[in-house]
Amino acid sequence: MIIRRISDVLSNYENILPLFAGGCAIVFLIGVLLLPLPYYDDQLYPKTIDRNSSLDPYDRGGPPFTQVVIKSQYPENSPTAGYVTTYLTPFSWFLANTTHHLGTTIVAHPGGIIDEILYNTRGLDTVVEPTILFIAFAIASFLFRREP
Amino acid sequence: MSSLGGAPWYILEFGDELVYFTPYTTTLLILALVFTVLALVSRPERQVEALFGTDAIYAKDTTVDQMRFRRFMAIACGCASMGAVVTGDLFNFTLFVALVGITNVGIVAAVKNRHVQNAAFQYGLVALTATVPLFAGAGIVAATTGTLSIVALASGTVPQAPFFARALLCLGVVGEGMAPFYAAKAEMFRAPGAPYVIMCSLSSLLIFLRVAEVVMVI
Repeated sequence: MIIRRISDVLSNYENILPLFAGGCAIVFLIGVLLLPLPYYDDQLYPKTIDRNSSLDPYDRGGPPFTQVVIKSQYPENSPTAGYVTTYLTPFSWFLANTTHHLGTTIVAHPGGIIDEILYNTRGLDTVVEPTILFIAFAIASFLFRREP
Repeated sequence: MSSLGGAPWYILEFGDELVYFTPYTTTLLILALVFTVLALVSRPERQVEALFGTDAIYAKDTTVDQMRFRRFMAIACGCASMGAVVTGDLFNFTLFVALVGITNVGIVAAVKNRHVQNAAFQYGLVALTATVPLFAGAGIVAATTGTLSIVALASGTVPQAPFFARALLCLGVVGEGMAPFYAAKAEMFRAPGAPYVIMCSLSSLLIFLRVAEVVMVI
């Protein structure tokens, strides 16, 4: 009987979002009560930030075309990691020299900064991320272009 | 590596992201592959509705462009679930799950029916909401263990992922796959075009089976 009633509530699709949001709220509340979670110091991808660099959050350091040590989980799988930590087109180079914090405009101009960790060791992520974006574009354009 | 799914037969290396084929993940992969091929080659069903108590019969028609789009979405959904079941990286897994969620919305959103579209819209909102616990779970695993590789997490050399992170991962997959909400999902299945809507259920089943393995291993 109770299952029938639950099923009846669930069958109305307008109830799903409030139910799911309620579930999220409960789990997050439990999570807040379980705080603090321990932070593990030996991180796989450590981040050092040089605030004075014009490539601020993306500056991995090192001279060009000399291998810099890039920490990765399986270094033997990415032997070329660390050779090209930064790739700048002339325009980006100009921006980096004249303005501060080019890193914040990485998505806004062509020829940005290659983030070694993202593009070399975690390449599959960068493939899947735009795929999600393109699928979303495909759905939106299909819905938009369809005859009413 | 001790894993619930058995020892890996083959490990494919994508930098830090290992793709591994254990008996368990390979079974799920084959299932996803077979259904993707079925969606690729089969023609959509022609749904016929009979009005109860009368002689009226409606035949629902699927237009060619709609069929094409939904087939594309079904194949994308199959590929995304294939990626989700074999990947050996937690962040990669969450990305594939998010992709499954959005392709599921795409499969039903193409149907020109007010009721189905309303259901798809609600479903899309849930899928949107679910990305928060999904990626938060992966983020907390990275912060508390220092790594994202499921192989490294399963080996026991790093601390175990906290219960909270696993709960978030499960919650995220629930939202993306809508797994416990099949009663409401039935509303979406009123959409004509059988092989494609089946892909919605199958992909959510597959990612659910996979997340069960992941949260028990990490």
